[in-house]
Amino acid sequence: MPVIEIKQLVKKFGKFTALDGVDFELDEGQVHAYLGPNGAGKTTTIRVLLGILRATSGSVSMFGKDAWKHSVELHKRLAYVPGEVNLWGNLTGGEVIDLMLSLRKPDKHHKERRELFLKRFELDPSKKCHTYSKGNRQKVALVAALASDAELFVFDEPSSGLDPLMEKVFQDIVLELKKDGKSVLLSSHILSEVEKLADKISIIRNGKIIQSGTMDEISKVAAGRSLEELFLSEYNGKEQ
Amino acid sequence: MKPLAGFWLYTRFILERERIISAIWIVAMAASAVGFAAMYPSLFSTSTELSGMAQTMNTPAMVALMGPVYGLDSLTTAMVMAQTCLIWFAIASAIMNIFFVNRYTRADEELGRLEMFRALPMGRLANIAATLFCVLLLNVLIASLTMAGLLAINIGGTSIHGAFAYSFAIGAIGFSFAGITLLLAQLVSSSRGVLGAAFALFGLFYIIRAWGDMQGNDASYLSPIGLGLKVSAFYDNNLWLLAVLFGIAILITIVAGVVYVKRDLGAGVIPAKPGRKHASPLLKSPFGLAWRLTRGAVAAWAIAAVVAGAVYGSIVGELQSFLSNNAMMQQMVQGSDGGNSLVNDYITMLFSIMALLAAVPVINAAMKIHSEEKHGRIEQVYATATSRIGLYAGFIVIALLQSVLFMVLSTLGMYASGYSTGLLVLTDLFKASLVYLPALWVMLGVSVALVGLLPRLSVAIWVVYAYSFVIIYFGRMFKLPDWATNISPFGSVPQLPVADFNAVPLAVLAAIAVALTLVGLAAYRLRDLR
Repeated sequence: MPVIEIKQLVKKFGKFTALDGVDFELDEGQVHAYLGPNGAGKTTTIRVLLGILRATSGSVSMFGKDAWKHSVELHKRLAYVPGEVNLWGNLTGGEVIDLMLSLRKPDKHHKERRELFLKRFELDPSKKCHTYSKGNRQKVALVAALASDAELFVFDEPSSGLDPLMEKVFQDIVLELKKDGKSVLLSSHILSEVEKLADKISIIRNGKIIQSGTMDEISKVAAGRSLEELFLSEYNGKEQ
Repeated sequence: MKPLAGFWLYTRFILERERIISAIWIVAMAASAVGFAAMYPSLFSTSTELSGMAQTMNTPAMVALMGPVYGLDSLTTAMVMAQTCLIWFAIASAIMNIFFVNRYTRADEELGRLEMFRALPMGRLANIAATLFCVLLLNVLIASLTMAGLLAINIGGTSIHGAFAYSFAIGAIGFSFAGITLLLAQLVSSSRGVLGAAFALFGLFYIIRAWGDMQGNDASYLSPIGLGLKVSAFYDNNLWLLAVLFGIAILITIVAGVVYVKRDLGAGVIPAKPGRKHASPLLKSPFGLAWRLTRGAVAAWAIAAVVAGAVYGSIVGELQSFLSNNAMMQQMVQGSDGGNSLVNDYITMLFSIMALLAAVPVINAAMKIHSEEKHGRIEQVYATATSRIGLYAGFIVIALLQSVLFMVLSTLGMYASGYSTGLLVLTDLFKASLVYLPALWVMLGVSVALVGLLPRLSVAIWVVYAYSFVIIYFGRMFKLPDWATNISPFGSVPQLPVADFNAVPLAVLAAIAVALTLVGLAAYRLRDLR
């Protein structure tokens, strides 16, 4: 049973069709990269998955349960890092991390993991959130997610504000998650990161999945070109 | 480097960004100022009616509410209009100025927009100079239009001097708060903090004025609102007071400019201190989050409730001396229970105002979840095992708490400061104040329903609020049609202790409140979040 199963998902905002029949699957223990140009529908897909937006039609399930109906129950098993991390300016990073952990009903090891990841990301938890840079806000969200014992991790461009050193730390952590049998949905623009981490890749453009498969399958489609060349042509809409 | 380089460019940019909001303010302010004035001649067609109105205005409660009374010897329609209307337009103008200045200073700075401009070949002072210029322009436009309108309708007692004094008093009081907000925007490092501090100062100045006007002493001159009202429009027309007020505002802006140039962008003068590394157990729940986001407001409004109650309570003693000096008033209240009826009348007025004040924190708490959504902070919370109803319930509980807290604390404040007069009975005060709770809950219900059903139109709650305000205010002076009063949640509340207690309207209000809240919650659970 796939961890995430999206079938023929359509999401309309008024007359505008943001998602036009999206199919997506994430198998247990895999890293599935979700790519596409800005505004293609990546974040909308994730927000439907999280029950923040309601699907117009199609089915969206996680762990075999409907993602809208059972959202609260399902969210105990997943951790999420938004693409743009907005925090409460008058709370400290440490307070936000603890709050997020508590709202997810943490296990008994979350405290050790919290300290471990704070150290690995070199984040000072005593600062008020309004003083954090974009990268540091992202670290707050990452520590809050990683310190939980979730089975599924949903990352929406998690490393876009991180420096190269921290980007490396993040990539190591994703590989460790994979080793531990966790499932990861990774939306990212960093192709080297995708190449290194992903088992499967799906590319979305204008609300439609235009390419999906394992790394090997995608390499075959590339037919000798580099992944970057393939992505650029897919993003442009010039099919092969 | 030229500190004002780019001033005109930035001015044009502000005017472009502001054209809709400012147009609404200009039209709304000028049209309603002239429109209200135009109603007065039909209300006071004879000199008896005018002097009757003068008696109504010359009560401690009305002076505390609306400012000093003048020219009773030669009262004209325009004077009555100015004495009953100027304060409200001054308040609206202050609110407009506070929001305008905050929007273009600290709010833009917080959102990182200012940084983009500072990276352009723009002078360091261009932003705040252009902001001030535009807000001044806005005030002058409103005042000029109002003046032209007043001269055009030409109600009894209108003169060019008077129309100028009235219209530009509104502008000058408002502009003084533009200056104050500009200074606060340099001292406080978040836009919410600036708004909070500006409105707190505004409340303080209003109370200083109320106290000064009641006592008839010079304390009123310490408040920009009191100073502006002393212009005595259509009577003394003390235009020099407006010049003084304008001068003070300019002085404050110069200080703000100096601070702005000297500080770092993004920083406040009041420094941020390091915080906790861990969350307290209290924060670790949906309710804990709601509480943490509103506790500052709860504390501030609790203090405001006690102070407001105490200020109005301190006047109760004056009521007696007022009565003994006023033969006509004595006649009016004779036959009933003498001095008590004046006190009772004062109590009903007082708590209707307290209820209006209490509605503000109640609405804010009920709307807080929507502002969190707009700022993109709610998504990560709902990505955890937190249900929408669970989180909203926290804010609703806080809104309920705010309603009870404000009414109880203002009652206690009033009782404490008016206790020595022996005129107040605590249980009666509580009845008169708590009777407003169902009406406050309706405001809560309307807020929740808007957030759930029409989140884009959620500011409409302030239209409901403004309507209730007008009803309570004018309902005291004129006889309004019953339907107009009853469609405001506050209008159907029994006016204890003057009127008899009636549980029916209260039960109806409570039922409406519950229904609106449930409908709002159900819609909120099902809708897309931003």
